[in-house]
Amino acid sequence: MGTLMKSLVFACAALAAAIHPAHAAEPTGEAMAATCAGCHGTQGRLGTVEFMPLAGMAEQEFVRAMQDFRSGKRQATLMGLVAGSFSDGEIEAMARYFAGVKPNAAK
Amino acid sequence: MLNRRNFLKAGAGLALAAAFPARAAAGAGHVVIIGGGVGGATAAKHLKLTNPALRVTVIEANRSYIRPYGSSEVLTGHVGMDDLVVSYDALKSKYGVEFVFDTVTGFDPDRKQVRTAGRQTVAYDKLIVSPGISLQYQAIPGYSAAVAETRAPSGWIPGSQTALLAQQLKAMRPGGTFVIVAPPNPYRCPPGPYERGALVTEWMRRHNPSGKVVILDPKDSFVTDATMQLGWHRLYGYDIPDDYLSDMPADVDNRGKPSPIEWVRAKDGGTTERIDARSLTVTTRGGAVKADVLNIVPPMKAGKLAFDMGLTDASGWCPVDRRTFESSVHKDVFVIGDASIADAMPKSGFAANTQAKVTARAVAAQLAGRAPGEPVWGNTCYALAGSNYGLFVADVFRLKDGKIARVSDQRYLPLDASMAKIRLGAAYQQAWLKTFTEDCFA
Ligand SMILES: Cc1cc2nc3c(=O)[nH]c(=O)nc-3n(C[C@H](O)[C@H](O)[C@H](O)COP(=O)(O)OP(=O)(O)OC[C@H]3O[C@@H](n4cnc5c(N)ncnc54)[C@H](O)[C@@H]3O)c2cc1C
Repeated sequence: MGTLMKSLVFACAALAAAIHPAHAAEPTGEAMAATCAGCHGTQGRLGTVEFMPLAGMAEQEFVRAMQDFRSGKRQATLMGLVAGSFSDGEIEAMARYFAGVKPNAAK
Repeated sequence: MLNRRNFLKAGAGLALAAAFPARAAAGAGHVVIIGGGVGGATAAKHLKLTNPALRVTVIEANRSYIRPYGSSEVLTGHVGMDDLVVSYDALKSKYGVEFVFDTVTGFDPDRKQVRTAGRQTVAYDKLIVSPGISLQYQAIPGYSAAVAETRAPSGWIPGSQTALLAQQLKAMRPGGTFVIVAPPNPYRCPPGPYERGALVTEWMRRHNPSGKVVILDPKDSFVTDATMQLGWHRLYGYDIPDDYLSDMPADVDNRGKPSPIEWVRAKDGGTTERIDARSLTVTTRGGAVKADVLNIVPPMKAGKLAFDMGLTDASGWCPVDRRTFESSVHKDVFVIGDASIADAMPKSGFAANTQAKVTARAVAAQLAGRAPGEPVWGNTCYALAGSNYGLFVADVFRLKDGKIARVSDQRYLPLDASMAKIRLGAAYQQAWLKTFTEDCFA
């Protein structure tokens, strides 16, 4: 049982790695973050409430959210599709970028 | 009108003060942007965010922008023409972008200058061109710009034709037919004609219940076609064609009854051969269709400016180096937005916005003597099948073997998505109109 579980976990990890391979050349966190801005605000500094503002979000929170979107653990309309296009390293780079941006003062 | 040769010459021999841009800080220079639409405005803002020392000048024909995205909502009265107007004030005051409100009429790539109808000469270190599309009215026999302005509007570049179409819809006789002639690929906003058809159908249910929408199409498919038709089925009793049925969820039940929205594909004779503007009749391969209101979305090419500047190839669009969008024809000139050839990327505002950012970073890097970084682009187009029924296509794009390729595999709202998600999609569409406009213009 224990072994079966382990190998299942391993199989899933291998599958995940196959689906989300590291890309040959990776854009910077800032460059990737720019593709989020159409909904989440320039530099993630959204001043309105419809989408999640990303500026100033703790790195871990961002990484967890993207990974959960990617795995389907977290329900989403389209973030699952978007998150699936970035590798772990890229998600971390975006997380570092957003964590370093000063959030928009509440409106 | 200037032909291309004269156009190129018109820029020459005029070295005015503006021809000598100041190079104050390291990596600085003068970036001139022609076209203050989605692509141009986003590029201007992003250049200033990337390097505030850059001098950035936008040359734009109009004092404010009329946004095309969301403009079909004018037809249903959900918004007015005024709501489409976007100001350039924030780009000026918040970011220090300079504006020249004038039409570019001359280009001298050797001297790196452009010239305007108002006889101003502007010199650049780097030039970004985002002129949008030109509508090929004459490609449809019987159609013309004059007919579009008076009888059968297109409304694909928003303005007087959008207002006219809204007026015609309101005045349409009870039980009348609103015909949309959809364009061939590639064109601006791939889900747009079908979303427009849906919104007009929804409007008619309340205001003209026996009215009908017919979409005549020279294609057999379109992006979001499955999710859009599912929405039409649920909202308007549209029968889903057999070839789409197998993937549909269990609630789908074709009734075999006429529906207020009809999609006539190429394989069913939907291709338009000519129109008669006087009687508003469309002759298709499958026969004649009489319209009460006729909305023609004609074939498209790059904006006229791109032709005048010699930036297009035989396809009528602008070939570019995919990493930076630098023109394959002229060095130090970049073409972004609808006018560019961008492989898997659609001609959408979202795409133009992410192209502008990649290009802004590449231009800033070049001016600073650095190599441009690894690009990544995106596209998220929300569309409505009804005002509370949203759907979307979402893509991420990367450079692969010198071409722009989609790397996301799943693109659409799943066909078995819950109504809660569908309503959320519609709410996001409305929110996006606002957040997106801010990201481009404020
Ligand atoms: C009905 C409809 C719905 C849409 N919905 C969506 C949507 O939901 N999501 C989405 O992402 N996209 C949508 N779009 C598409 C989107 O609007 C376009 O893809 C986008 O505007 C393209 O940006 P652009 O910079 O290439 O061109 P434009 O935004 O058209 O800008 C071009 C600018 O260049 C200026 N210009 C041209 N020639 C000259 C000259 N010689 N001198 C000076 N200035 C000049 C023009 O005045 C204009 O301001 C929609 C479009 C339509 C028609």
